[in-house]
Amino acid sequence: MSLDPGFIWTAFLSLFKALPNTLYITIVSVFVGFIIGTAIALIRIYRIPVLYPLASAYVLFIRGTPMLMHLLLIYFGLPIIIDGLASALGLGFNSTVIPLIGFAYISFSITAGAYMSEVVRAGILSVNRGQMEAAYSIGMTTPQALRRIVLPQALAVCLPNLSNNLIGMLHGSTLAFTVSVVEINAQAQIVAATNWKFLEAYIAAAVLFWGMTILIEQATAWLERRINKYNRGGVA
Amino acid sequence: MGRKFDIHYLLDFLPKLLSYLHITLFIVAASILLGLVVGFIIALPRLYKIPVLQRASQVYVSFFRGTPILIQLFLIYYGLPELLKLVHIDVSRANVLVFVILAYALHSGAFISEAIRAAVNGVDRGQVEAAYAIGMSGYQAFTRIVLPQALAISIPILANLVIGNLKDTSLAFTLGAMEMTGKSQTLASATQHFIETYIALSLIYFVISTILERTFHYLERRLLRHEKQVAEPAVRYGKRRLWKRTLITRLEKGG
Repeated sequence: MSLDPGFIWTAFLSLFKALPNTLYITIVSVFVGFIIGTAIALIRIYRIPVLYPLASAYVLFIRGTPMLMHLLLIYFGLPIIIDGLASALGLGFNSTVIPLIGFAYISFSITAGAYMSEVVRAGILSVNRGQMEAAYSIGMTTPQALRRIVLPQALAVCLPNLSNNLIGMLHGSTLAFTVSVVEINAQAQIVAATNWKFLEAYIAAAVLFWGMTILIEQATAWLERRINKYNRGGVA
Repeated sequence: MGRKFDIHYLLDFLPKLLSYLHITLFIVAASILLGLVVGFIIALPRLYKIPVLQRASQVYVSFFRGTPILIQLFLIYYGLPELLKLVHIDVSRANVLVFVILAYALHSGAFISEAIRAAVNGVDRGQVEAAYAIGMSGYQAFTRIVLPQALAISIPILANLVIGNLKDTSLAFTLGAMEMTGKSQTLASATQHFIETYIALSLIYFVISTILERTFHYLERRLLRHEKQVAEPAVRYGKRRLWKRTLITRLEKGG
């Protein structure tokens, strides 16, 4: 077998150049996605009139289509909308000012938002109703009760799901190569193609992703133990 | 970047993309079927706690859950021919679909093995004991008692996996497989009507995954018919929900 083990290490080192882009995409999309997801979850739980069907349709559509489609739709669709608006309103810019990674941020945030909303919704619904009633009875308003009582508990419940989503978005960030953002997968392709050693480059990329995933899993397990400390039984 | 939006192209592209639907569905069906076999083989050592193999299957699952499917596709595409060269099998002329299906099968095999494990553990221990008590062998108890119940428990997870798999097949175009997304790429670049192509493609994926979801939902209700006859439906339901929640925590893929 013509495998060059030494090159795996070379490729591995060169992949670190692209690591920041992967991390940026993952972190931005999970962070923004979490905010969108919480908003969507609250809209759906409180059945806010006009917004409720819109939110449901958003979640349904995003969860029913591949992540690649969201990226490509944003990549090709957003410039048309922006350019149309800019020329109609006479604004002094066009879509070329958006950096390529911006498309990845926007579309992956939209993707993550839909998945997160399901996670957050499950978390909020799992918090005992009595908690909300207790908060009302000591005179808190609904936003106060949500922010101080319900959401922290919901967050603890949905932590494993959040970490799963984080891993999903980390793995999903490999799609950004289709809009020519150089993240780990794209870097692996570049290294592979210039040295004509494809297998080695992808082994290196796989090891890097595997390592990051295990890291996230370990961190989640640690965080879970910490967050649930108040929740254990017993007297001491 | 592309031409002006024209709805006629969207209507024109829909049937053109639909004519490649069977390839996408073939990839999904073949990889899930193969994945079930792989999943079973991977799950058994962990269910019966076989020493060394248990560790190996843990590593397998960790690897396939811990790396992106895109990387796995490339690994198998470039790695498998090298491996097979060692045993003097030449696959350089093999259809690219073979690699695609194998990659998705190994990937979903890891997830399916976890689903099987969780579902089998979800069947009440007393069921196996009762089977042994009336004199069934281990194999009989597994196939006649545990498996049918585990199947019902695992349907919602399996549904998630199949739909996830369907969405993942959109990545097969990176290896040059001519399925729906692959076709959409050629259509889009030939006509320069990108946005219409991808809207049409999204619509197809959306409809297919909705149909799949409904089908599995129906299947789940059918397989759990017997649960209704249990004396305390509320308690049983609560228990099942709890299982579902813990299972889905481990198995749902974001994105």
